[in-house]
Amino acid sequence: MSATSTYVRTYLTRIVVVVAAVATLAGYYFAYEPISTVSNELNIWSSLITSFTLFVGLISVFARYSRSVMNRDNNWPFHLYCLAMIVVWIIWGNMIGMYSTLYQTLYMSTKITLHITIIGQLIFFSVSGMYRTFRIKSLRTAVFAFFTVLIVFLNMPPLIAPFPALSTAAYWLLDNPQMAAARAMVMCGGIGGVILGIRILLGIEKGALRVTGGD
Amino acid sequence: MAGIPELKSEWIWGVLIVAFLIPAVNPLGVDFPDSPITNEIYDLIENLPEGSLIVMGGSGVIAFDIESSPGMIACVRQMERLGYKLVTCPLGSETPQYHKFIIDSAKVDVSAGGSWVYGEDYALLPYLPGGTAALVAYLEDFKGTVSVDMRGIPISELPIFDDFNNYEDIDIWICPHWGFVTIIRICTGEYGLTAISFAQSTAYAFFSPYMQAYPGQVYMTNGYLGGAQYERLNDMKGLGHMVQDSYTIVSVLIAGFIVLGNVTMVMKGEEEE
Repeated sequence: MSATSTYVRTYLTRIVVVVAAVATLAGYYFAYEPISTVSNELNIWSSLITSFTLFVGLISVFARYSRSVMNRDNNWPFHLYCLAMIVVWIIWGNMIGMYSTLYQTLYMSTKITLHITIIGQLIFFSVSGMYRTFRIKSLRTAVFAFFTVLIVFLNMPPLIAPFPALSTAAYWLLDNPQMAAARAMVMCGGIGGVILGIRILLGIEKGALRVTGGD
Repeated sequence: MAGIPELKSEWIWGVLIVAFLIPAVNPLGVDFPDSPITNEIYDLIENLPEGSLIVMGGSGVIAFDIESSPGMIACVRQMERLGYKLVTCPLGSETPQYHKFIIDSAKVDVSAGGSWVYGEDYALLPYLPGGTAALVAYLEDFKGTVSVDMRGIPISELPIFDDFNNYEDIDIWICPHWGFVTIIRICTGEYGLTAISFAQSTAYAFFSPYMQAYPGQVYMTNGYLGGAQYERLNDMKGLGHMVQDSYTIVSVLIAGFIVLGNVTMVMKGEEEE
């Protein structure tokens, strides 16, 4: 890679990211019209760039699956089917209108139904997994199994309808010990995200702003 | 005492399939309690001025957001009854389809027997890419962000958008999606809007701290139960009610299988001794 492109990749991308980040943060903290205007304009640019990435994803899928079909890699018939469906749905959607009732019905009947089925399968695996893993062999597993059964029963409609105190108990568990743990996780995630962002901007972290070939 | 054999997973799955089919064929109609939060949401929407503008928006995946649909469909019917206006803000690529699904299921359009006229009482917008950036742009300068509706009609030709310029024209934001945190952070945290979510039960467990962080501004119902409660408040029976039957049966089975697993373990231990 030439030195020029190395410098461009290294520094130009970082300059763009830093300028955009500082402008957005400034628009967040300062009530000053010119800064807000810049920040809002960058938000609109961000929306346009995100639209562009949709096409990048589509082109990437086409390139990869086309290579797979031509080379007869593993599962190439499925890749060919995927490419054909993409073409059919794009042409079909543009012909009848993506938000037409027919397109909506087809979309909900195929992709969405299959997606819901995949998610719905989880309960079967969860229950059989609970049967095998919630075996009380220690204090930890006893607590785990006890609270699992407790939460399940405390949210069971026929039980909590005649005994509202059970619902109160369930929400106390959700709003106190569970919420404390959830808050800790959310805060850790937020702090981790900020630290990761700073590391990327400073070039410490390996990532999109890191020049290839180096430490 | 004879030992209990270890159950194969396929047998457990078979029992579950039967358990799901029973209420589908013969609804049990199990009772369920009210919730003060759900009642508060209902009263909040009931007491808005006539002609209030409500935005239904956020980002999610339809397969997950189905759990939010019972409450949202009931709420859309409530909005139609009270003469409110509804505009969408789809921040996910599947979200426009979901919003259309909600409107179609609520049957509020004149073509479905309702009283809402498209473009006057409600409007559906296309996917707004950009995530948080798109949301901020939408709130700051709606007409600078959105130019056409879902059908490609310029928004200048739709009367519902005549007086909609920015966040100040929004009365309430409702998010029937997983991505409620973004709405809270931006709409409530930055722009002071009241935000309601017909949340999925997992989302409720994760995001309920925000109700304490923004009291009186952030509200959430809890999964299908919350949806069923909101359906009952609107005198309707839908998916929320149907799910309560399945939930009841599977709850008993979960506890039963956990107990059975432990009994099996104990008996195996006795046999080995």
